[in-house]
Amino acid sequence: MALLETRNLSKSFGGLQAIDNVSLSVDENSVHGLIGPNGSGKSTFFNLLTGVYQPDIGSHISFNKIDITNKPAHYIASQGLARTFQLLRLYGELSVLENVLVGYHPHTKYGPLAPLIMGAEVRRQDRLVKEEMMDLLEFIGLAEHAEIPAAELSGGQRRLLALGRAIAMRPKMLLLDEPGAGLSPVNVDNLMATILTLKERYNLTIVVVEHILKVVMATCDTISVLDHGQKISEGSPKFVKNDPAVVEAYLGREMADEDIKAAMNA
Amino acid sequence: MIVLSKLADLFEDLAKRHRLLPWLIAYVLLLPLPFVLAGLFNEYLIDLVNRICLFILLAVGLNIVKGFCGQVTVGHIGLYAIGAVTSAVLSLEPGGFGGALGFGWPVWLSIPTAVLVTAFAGLIIGLPSVRLQGAYLALATLGLGESVRIFIAVTPALGSSTGLMMIPAPSVGSFTLDSFTSYYYIVMTAALLGIYFSFSILRSATGRAFQAIREDTTAAAVNGINVIQYKLLAFVFSAVYAGLAGALFAHMQPGYLHHNNFTVIEMVTLLLMVVLGGIGNVWGGVIGAIVVAIAYDQTKDLVFYFMDRPIVIQPLVFGLSMVLLVMFMPRGIGGWIEDFQRNRRFIRRSEERLSGSTRNT
Ligand SMILES: Nc1ncnc2c1ncn2[C@@H]1O[C@H](COP(=O)(O)OP(=O)(O)O)[C@@H](O)[C@H]1O
Ligand SMILES: [Mg+2]
Repeated sequence: MALLETRNLSKSFGGLQAIDNVSLSVDENSVHGLIGPNGSGKSTFFNLLTGVYQPDIGSHISFNKIDITNKPAHYIASQGLARTFQLLRLYGELSVLENVLVGYHPHTKYGPLAPLIMGAEVRRQDRLVKEEMMDLLEFIGLAEHAEIPAAELSGGQRRLLALGRAIAMRPKMLLLDEPGAGLSPVNVDNLMATILTLKERYNLTIVVVEHILKVVMATCDTISVLDHGQKISEGSPKFVKNDPAVVEAYLGREMADEDIKAAMNA
Repeated sequence: MIVLSKLADLFEDLAKRHRLLPWLIAYVLLLPLPFVLAGLFNEYLIDLVNRICLFILLAVGLNIVKGFCGQVTVGHIGLYAIGAVTSAVLSLEPGGFGGALGFGWPVWLSIPTAVLVTAFAGLIIGLPSVRLQGAYLALATLGLGESVRIFIAVTPALGSSTGLMMIPAPSVGSFTLDSFTSYYYIVMTAALLGIYFSFSILRSATGRAFQAIREDTTAAAVNGINVIQYKLLAFVFSAVYAGLAGALFAHMQPGYLHHNNFTVIEMVTLLLMVVLGGIGNVWGGVIGAIVVAIAYDQTKDLVFYFMDRPIVIQPLVFGLSMVLLVMFMPRGIGGWIEDFQRNRRFIRRSEERLSGSTRNT
């Protein structure tokens, strides 16, 4: 069953067609890969899904059978669609624990004025939520850094926290924008393993953008390929890897020989 | 600095026993202050302390919108003006001086009404924040705040150029709170409650939402925070503080208001308190308010003669301090406090770990 569906999704920036009439559906409980050369529109696609950008007229997005086209970002988030950003966008001055607590925000059980009038209840709720969030931090291995500002984490830890903050939203679907960017291949493998365990533990559907094709091929059930904002191929890893259109899209960008080999031999 | 961080630590340790304990102790310690001041120095210091308490309310309120939520506003002084003039006009007797409006309400009714009116005005001053950021937002709020002052200055019903006079003091039973000392207990209680509630906000999902918006608005929206709603809420919270400070200022004897109380200079002074205190740090803001209010008081009448022409240097001093502070001390006093506390916590934790491991062997 499709959890997420786009129909004729388009987005232009001035004259540039960043996303061009993309119709795509993601099955519940699947790991769906989104690949394509740099600038092919992957991040823009995520920004459209999560309400960060407004799509062009005629586009249609539905999530969990609800029309979320042109809905504000916080509403889409509250429906259970979470994401990470390519550049992480952590709350640098807030502590690691506070970062995941913000992720939990849509599930807060008290109103914004409650801290002024029912302090005891607010503190009780916060204690419970903090315990739950510490469990999550324990699970992703950041518990001992809970009190330090996010800006002071190492690169790899920051990527984990970005993931943790999204998971804290208890989403149905998680969109991951290059979660392993900047990590060594070994660490990317570890990260993907973590992501897959998180998927099982929290019963998630995942869409992942990843430029190390080997990783994508190994972990995804289905892969969609974007080029110049258009969907040029879609199917199982095996199908996509052998699709001439895909090979050409990557070759057309003068990809280094080794990368192609690495990608195609995965 | 060490004293400050020790004080902060002490506060936290006491809070562990009972959450309200440090607040009650602080309150009790502050009770005899006017008598100490009057005994050791003179009565007028109490007046200064009272004004400091109002500045603390203003600074702590401004800190919510600017420090917690990251919205640059230069309209705060306009909200202070609205609180002051509303409560004054509501409480003045009808048919007073020079065509000033008066409704003759009891002061205990005019103050909360003024706070409500100011809260609503805060919502309006906050509206530009839905679309504007940074310098543009500063300009828009400056315009709104300054237009409040000009409106007061040209409206005889609100005092215009002569100001509003003989604004009544609040009274409890037959006792009128018109002395420095009696009014101290009102403004000091208000300031302490203001600080307390500002912490209640900060340490809740509401405060975290404000800070998330400050750190990264897009990420906050994607995390499910209704950014517009929370930005406006921050403006309303800060307006409640400004409105209360304004209303309390209006009824503080001699009960006189003039639009010159609400100029851009006062706004710069207020910003200086928050910046010196360290944006986003509540205690820093309180210390900033105390330091700047004293400096303000001391430099008020400072005139420098250049070729026999008098030059009032206070605005220059305050403007320049602002620039220097932003350049060389962007995290303010609060930044020092945080660094000290974190270092101390780190040392404590390492000590605990050390003693723990020796016990294990
Ligand atoms: N906010 C924006 N304004 C203008 N152009 C944009 C904006 N965001 C993305 N683009 C353009 O859209 C295209 C797709 O970008 P992006 O989605 O980031 O690609 P990818 O993530 O696949 O590398 C690029 O040409 C990029 O320059
Ligand atoms: Mg991208």
